[in-house]
Parts: sequence; C-alpha cells; structure tokens
Amino acid sequence: MTGAELTIDLLAKHGVKEVFGYPGGAIMPIYDALYGAPVKHYLTRHEQGAGFAAVGYARSTGKLGVCLATSGPGATNLITALADAMMDSVPLLAITGQVPTAAIGSDAFQEVDVLGMSLSCTKHSYMVERPGDLAEILQEAMHLAQSGRPGPVLVDIPKDIQMAQVPFKPWLAADEYLPQLDLNQVAIANQLLSEAKQPVAYVGGGVQAADAQNELMQFLNKTQMPAVSTLKALGSVLPDYEHYLGMLGMHGTQAANIAVQECDVLVCIGARFDDRVTGNLAKFAAKAKVIHLDIDAAEVGKRKPAKASLVADLKTSLPALECFVTPKAWCDTNKQLSVKHAWRYDYPGEKVFAPYLLNQLSLRMPKTGVVCCDVGQHQMWVAQHMKFSHPSNHLSSGGAGTMGFGLPAAIGAQVARPDDFVITVSGDGSIMMNIQELATIRRNNLPVKILILDNQRLGMVRQWQELFFEGRYSETNLSDNPDFVQLAAVFGIPGQTITHANQVDDAITALVNNKGPYIVHACIDDKENVWPLVPPGAANDEMITEKAQ
Amino acid sequence: MKHSLTIALKSQSIAVERFLRVVRHRGFDLTHFQLNMDDGHYNVAMTVDSDKPIHLLTSQLNKLVDVKEITLQNLQQQAV
Repeated sequence: MTGAELTIDLLAKHGVKEVFGYPGGAIMPIYDALYGAPVKHYLTRHEQGAGFAAVGYARSTGKLGVCLATSGPGATNLITALADAMMDSVPLLAITGQVPTAAIGSDAFQEVDVLGMSLSCTKHSYMVERPGDLAEILQEAMHLAQSGRPGPVLVDIPKDIQMAQVPFKPWLAADEYLPQLDLNQVAIANQLLSEAKQPVAYVGGGVQAADAQNELMQFLNKTQMPAVSTLKALGSVLPDYEHYLGMLGMHGTQAANIAVQECDVLVCIGARFDDRVTGNLAKFAAKAKVIHLDIDAAEVGKRKPAKASLVADLKTSLPALECFVTPKAWCDTNKQLSVKHAWRYDYPGEKVFAPYLLNQLSLRMPKTGVVCCDVGQHQMWVAQHMKFSHPSNHLSSGGAGTMGFGLPAAIGAQVARPDDFVITVSGDGSIMMNIQELATIRRNNLPVKILILDNQRLGMVRQWQELFFEGRYSETNLSDNPDFVQLAAVFGIPGQTITHANQVDDAITALVNNKGPYIVHACIDDKENVWPLVPPGAANDEMITEKAQ
Repeated sequence: MKHSLTIALKSQSIAVERFLRVVRHRGFDLTHFQLNMDDGHYNVAMTVDSDKPIHLLTSQLNKLVDVKEITLQNLQQQAV
C-alpha cells in the first residue's frame, strides 16, 4: 500500500466519509488514491473555502472535519481556517502535500515551510519524515484533533512518502492525560454555591465541545440560575429556559451584562473571559467569586482569577456541582431587566429592518436549521435576534472573527447534514471574501440558502468610525458592489432583491420553501448600527444604547 | 521577575521551535537557554523574565504534545 492509499484508508477507517480540498502537484498521489475511494471529496474553488467547509462540517456535527491542499500556496491558503479552528476549538485535520523529501530546503517550486507556519495556528502539527511513521502520525493526529480541548492538527506529507510503500501500524492511544476532578476544588465550589445570593452561569463553547448540553440544562433547571451565553455558546442554553438572559459582552443584552456585573458568584462553564465578553476586565463581574469549569487548565486564571477551578470534562464537572435553588428575588430582578430591555421590532420607515428580518427568519425556519454567519454587524444581529436550540445550529467565527467564513462553512454544514435547512447570513463585505464558493454550491446542487444584508458598507467598521473616529469613513464605502442576485444567477442560483419592509415576509417564504439554493439580497439602511454597545475600555454596564445616541 | 525552568522535550527540532514560540508569544523574554540530548529527549534549561505570573507560561507549555515534563526552579523566589 502506498502512503497515499494508506492516508485515504485511515480516514475511511476513522469514519471520515467526506473531505474538502483542492488538488495540486505535491498532493497528486493522494488525489489519485481518492479516485473511486469510499471517502467523498468535495472540490472547493479555493483552499480557504475547503478549510472553512471542513470547519462548518465539524461544528455542525461535532465530528472531525478534514481538508486537503497541496504544498506552498495551497497550504498557506488553509492557514486562516486553521487559525479560526484554533481560536474556536474545532476538531479539524488538515493534510497538505509537500515537495519531495530530497527537495525540502532547496526553495523548490511550491515549497513553503508549512510545518513552521503551522506552529501558531494548530494544536499540533507534523511533517512526515519517514514512510514508516505515516500510519502512526495520521492516527495520532485524528485522535489529537478530537481529544481534550479539540483543535486543528496539520499533517504535511512529502510527495515521495505519499508514493512510497508504507507499512500499516495500528496506533494505540497512549495513556492520555485526562484531567481528574480535584475534589477539594469541588468542595470549595459547592461551598461558594451554597452561599451565593446572586449567582450567574456564564456559558461558553466548551458545552458543545464536551457534548454537555444535557448536563448544563439539568444543572440550570434544578438551580433556576440566571444564565448568559457567549457568542459561540448560543444554543447551549435552550431558548425557552425561563432564566436565560441572552448573550453577554460587547453587543450582548443589557439584562445579561447587568446581571453579570451584579452577581456574587459567577459559574464559568467552558468559557475563557474573552475581551469581547468582559469589556474592561478590571471592572468585569468585580463583585463575583469565580467558579471556573474547563477541560483546559491553561484557561483557568488566564484572564480572571478563580476561587474554585474544576479542570475536567464538563460531562464530569457539571454533575459534581450541587444544585442549590437560586433565591427568587435575584431571579425576579433579572426577569424584570429582561422585560425592561427586551428587543423591539417596531421600526419607523419603509426600509428593511435587519433585526426584524432575522427575528422573523428565526421564527419561520426549521428549528433544526443551521445558520452560518460571516463577521460584522449582521453577525451580531443574528446573535441578538435569532434563537437556537443547539450550538451546532449556529456557526459563527468567534475568536478569530474571520470574514469569508459563512459561505464555505454553510457548504460544510449542508454536506454534513443534507436533510437540514442551512442558511448563510452574510454582509455585502464578507460575502465577497469567498464568493467563488457559489461554484461549489452549484457543482454539488447543495440547497444552501444565502441572505445578504447589504448596507453598501463595511458596516461594523463604519459604525466604529462614526462613534470613535469622528465620522472619518476611511475605505468602508462599498456602494460599488456588484448586483448580488445577478452574480448568483451566473452560478445558476436564483434569488431576489428586497428593498422595503413589506417585502420581508415573502422573501422569507422564498428562502424557507425553496428546495434548491436561493439568495435573498436585502438592502438595508446604511446608517443602521448594532445596539447596545460596550465602548472600548468601558465596563459592561456602561453600554451605549440607541436611545442614548 | 526571572524564573528558571527545566523542560523535557521530544528530541525533534520542531519541538524546540514550537515551545520557544509559545514562550515569546505569551510574553516571556528568554535570558538563558541550554539544550542537551539525553535518553532520547531534549533537556532544556532556561530562564525567562516577565512581569506576568509564571503559571501563564507553564500552563501553556504543559499543553504541548512534545513537552514531556516541566520543572520550575527557584521556588522560593517564585513564591515572592
């Protein structure tokens, strides 16, 4: 068996049914082995598209996402997706071709030190130096990507090793260091919980990584603890949970941010006190004693000290917490805040109001549907105005904030979940960053829906220029955008443009009912901003609201 | 504050690159570095300087697949 054949064989043995990639010289043997293989390959039109499709595949299923690229520029085009997967803890395997071993270091055609480039954007990475190492490395790589805190792993395989005869060696996982719960810390945590008068659960992406939504909801239902969610965790707390306050942070709800600022015990469940969550860290939850649950010990105390740290899988640590019922007065206070600061969708004027459109879409699309965002204002509006019942139904580039994420991620999600409704919600800036993937949708007849919220601006940057740069709108005007419906039509994708509020309902009907791919290009007010907003350097309870403006 | 550490690493040059990258990126200046091969491992003795607590570095280094063991020296000084 050649190295290339072994690579595909091991993927299949691991249960990988679909991969995304783009061929080229140094990975040709692997593409030859793919020909007729039981692993289905989806050709994207750019390696970054393959990387993000694999991320979308992984995030919408919890399974391993796999992407392939050739050496040099093929591999460098994957780097952004690797960085994105690193920031959001996504189980991803990237396999890259490399120039033959003898040519490495000679500045050969399409030679880049991919292993060197991978160091800052992977959980681990390899370059295979000997044919005999290939089987072990691939098996270890697949294991590492999915174990502990998940993340991207890269395997760079020189062309001669792909072509060499290689032995198959079954790889037995070494005794893995699985963090065990420290019972002393559990006792401290339970003591803190027993004394808490105003506790809040701060829920992060770790809940999806650990597949611990059930454990989370059991804890919340028993304690009735007010809960707030990070961007990445949206869907982890079921939307009908009575004490759910929504997303916290820079564009979070006022109820969520005020509750966290006022709480006396903050139970951080698989989150990492990201700067977009905390605002001014010194003022963040300043009265709170922190109980931090995470599988990654490096996150505990990284940004905010913890009084109790439960370093373990959330499936183990969450049930270890005692469930003291939250004082009713605290729950009532937060409920009143939620009511007082509830979203409003009554919008003066005839233009399309993006929050209303997204809220209506959320109400009318299937509850099992997947929404894949890009990055910017539309991303925050999705987080604010759409409801999700599982984090695998909301794919948003959180830590890295990568424009161009949405369309290829939707392709990956649709491949992984062919029977589910999948839509990418994008902006007129972001959609152009991986627009070539319309060809991938057409090639595979994927019924991906596309909603572009078009304000003819890089809206979030424009908003900040308005608020913090004295209205100096440097390079954010995109009023020379192409006609997006015509553009989609070139790829054989039908759609419509809407410009008025009274067209919203019909457009959503078209999106929901269409059996194939469909695009809605919604023209929105170029001056619409995302509210509320925690300005730079401010505490989370110093939010700017639209009224204040 | 300066901190001295010894680290047992997989004996591959990429392992050294990988952990030195983490040292730099997490905000620690390298003031001393010595590498020896022993029993199929690299043994590194190094001193780093930073105003950040050392656990922010050791917890990141401990996550690296290539890192077998980390030992902090000068414990009394580090407790200050």
